[in-house]
Amino acid sequence: MQTDKGPAKKLSGKCMCGAVAFEFRADREDVTACHCGQCRSWSGHQWASLNAPFESLAIKIGDDALGWYRSSDYARRGFCRECGSSLFWHADKLDDYKHRIAIAAASIEHDAPMKLAEHIFVADKGHYYEITDDLPKKDQY
Amino acid sequence: MAKLVGKCLCGAVEFSFSAERIDHPSVCHCGQCRRWSGHQWASLNVPKADFAFIRGEDKVAWFDSSDVARRGFCSACGTSLFWDGHGIELEKGKLSVALGALEPPTGLRLEEHIFVADKGDYYDIADGLPQRRR
Repeated sequence: MQTDKGPAKKLSGKCMCGAVAFEFRADREDVTACHCGQCRSWSGHQWASLNAPFESLAIKIGDDALGWYRSSDYARRGFCRECGSSLFWHADKLDDYKHRIAIAAASIEHDAPMKLAEHIFVADKGHYYEITDDLPKKDQY
Repeated sequence: MAKLVGKCLCGAVEFSFSAERIDHPSVCHCGQCRRWSGHQWASLNVPKADFAFIRGEDKVAWFDSSDVARRGFCSACGTSLFWDGHGIELEKGKLSVALGALEPPTGLRLEEHIFVADKGDYYDIADGLPQRRR
């Protein structure tokens, strides 16, 4: 688990086409790259996210353009119905996690105070690439 | 002739293509691919003549991401599947297909990173593969 650090700061983000735009309160700076099969399929390669308080997420534009796909018994994935951008992962059925939401790092404004800090589910990574940086790697999460 | 098969996360869209004339497995760091994927999008090029849908062609939504290109995604789950440079002379005969959608084993290896001039400021590229600014 990441530790909460840094001052809580309001950040903004949007999908590729701009149909969905949002704000949230960032209480962490560590970005996680996920190599699980679901994230690899969904993103087309790798999905990375910043974890934030769910209650702080405010959809400013395009609530009706935000689609939710139930990707497992316990989690759902939010995407833009207009352009297909992969925006959110939310474990809405897990009591211990539903108060947090994972927000696609690339959707967040440039110059946001965040940095890639770890790789998770590396046991499921794609066979066609290697992870060669020196960041922590976890077989699961 | 080896065939590769791919599908979206929910399985509504499935496709296959011959591996004979594929090329350029690469990671794109352009702003559009980054926002679309959520981090990084990787793909290879397939001649359109070698590509066929198995199911769910009607589930693919196409977004015109520029005057000369469109991006195909699954309308049911949002998987980022295809880039089609239909208005670019050198690209219009090919379809770029997401590497993350392909069923293993593919025998593929990433060859390079492209549009690294536009990469995100929150990560570094450290794998030693060639990096092209565009």
